[in-house]
Amino acid sequence: MSTVLVIAARDDWPTDRVVKALADGGAEVFRMDTAEFPQELTLAGRIDARRGWAGGLTTAHRAVDLADIEAVYYRAPNPFVFPVAMSESERRFAAAQARAGLGGVITALDCRWVSHPAAMSRAEYKPLQLATARQAGLTIPPTLITNTPDAVRAFVGDVGGQMICKPVATPVFVEGDQLKTVYTHRITEADLDDLRGIDTTAHLFQAWVDKAHEVRLTVVGDRLFAAEVHAGSAAAHTDWRSDYASLTYRPTTTPDDVAEGVRRYMSALDLRFAAADFIVTPGGEWVFLEANPCGQWDWIEHATGLPIASAIADELQGVPV
Amino acid sequence: MITLADPREAFPLASKLPRALHGSELPSSVNTRPWVLRFARTPDATKAIVMPPAVYDNELQMSVGLYEGPLPYMQTHQPTVPDGSMTSPPPLDEGPKD
Repeated sequence: MSTVLVIAARDDWPTDRVVKALADGGAEVFRMDTAEFPQELTLAGRIDARRGWAGGLTTAHRAVDLADIEAVYYRAPNPFVFPVAMSESERRFAAAQARAGLGGVITALDCRWVSHPAAMSRAEYKPLQLATARQAGLTIPPTLITNTPDAVRAFVGDVGGQMICKPVATPVFVEGDQLKTVYTHRITEADLDDLRGIDTTAHLFQAWVDKAHEVRLTVVGDRLFAAEVHAGSAAAHTDWRSDYASLTYRPTTTPDDVAEGVRRYMSALDLRFAAADFIVTPGGEWVFLEANPCGQWDWIEHATGLPIASAIADELQGVPV
Repeated sequence: MITLADPREAFPLASKLPRALHGSELPSSVNTRPWVLRFARTPDATKAIVMPPAVYDNELQMSVGLYEGPLPYMQTHQPTVPDGSMTSPPPLDEGPKD
């Protein structure tokens, strides 16, 4: 029986919403987290001259034949979990084998993906996002990535002294037994007086773009769900993630040229889902900032009524738009 | 200092769950600390969203509440602001939101 394979953390509750939409539509669902492998999930995949990958993925509660999987929803599962008695070396070896074995078999499935993890992994890189957006015809802010203080000073001059910095990769880290994050920061003259530490790693600087508001554009297959994000505080005006309580949302329409550019972007990176962030300038121009191939969407659906979960379920089932 | 893995592997490779993260190291010196970390902060604990108690139902393949009421996923469509506790870190991809 045709089955949708859902690969996500058990406590990823937005995925529950997709599972519910699939089940309500009559789809057969097999949900797993890679953390269940190898202790709670078994794999017996076979391939030969007659047919592609087939055989069982089995848990204590259900089983699916790889040959019956028609679509995969892949959403940030957890790492493999191995017996505690393993040595660290054995654990690393086993993790590599599991990644190439379980991951290799699943990613070899020729079916609909939302999205394929290899495409998602590649699309995580902000430099690639900006280059692809530019090639797709989207407007992007002038951007510098460097570990050289002199390049920072030159760039700030080129952009008229108005710029921001933000992490190139994850903004979250742990230090002093505290979880910390780095939001987008608008650079002041005082910040530039001391650039010690720039040379320790790659830093991203971007021209400040005046904004009327921002837009979170959730892309599911060929469908675009645009929501205006209006900041209600100075902090949120710089980075809306820093003050959710101040935000208000409103569904909006994506301009045709932006929609075409976004679809070219998605095609170029072979993505079927992305959460893209745009600044909308006071003049109405949409400026692309980044697009997360595994971005959050549930709160936008709740705030705006945009039917994102059902769109993901439709995309997985191949329902035409 | 521990930084959450990102960009993520196409399939997870790390051997420890992110939720088991710990890191007691303190900042190094101004010459060796990444410059952008000057702007790091611990999010406001008072804005943290309390997640309802839930357990995973293997038949439904989703979480269900421990008490009567709507399913957990119907209560979670708010951004999660981490309270600085490493037992409730934000998702890996976008920082402090759910």
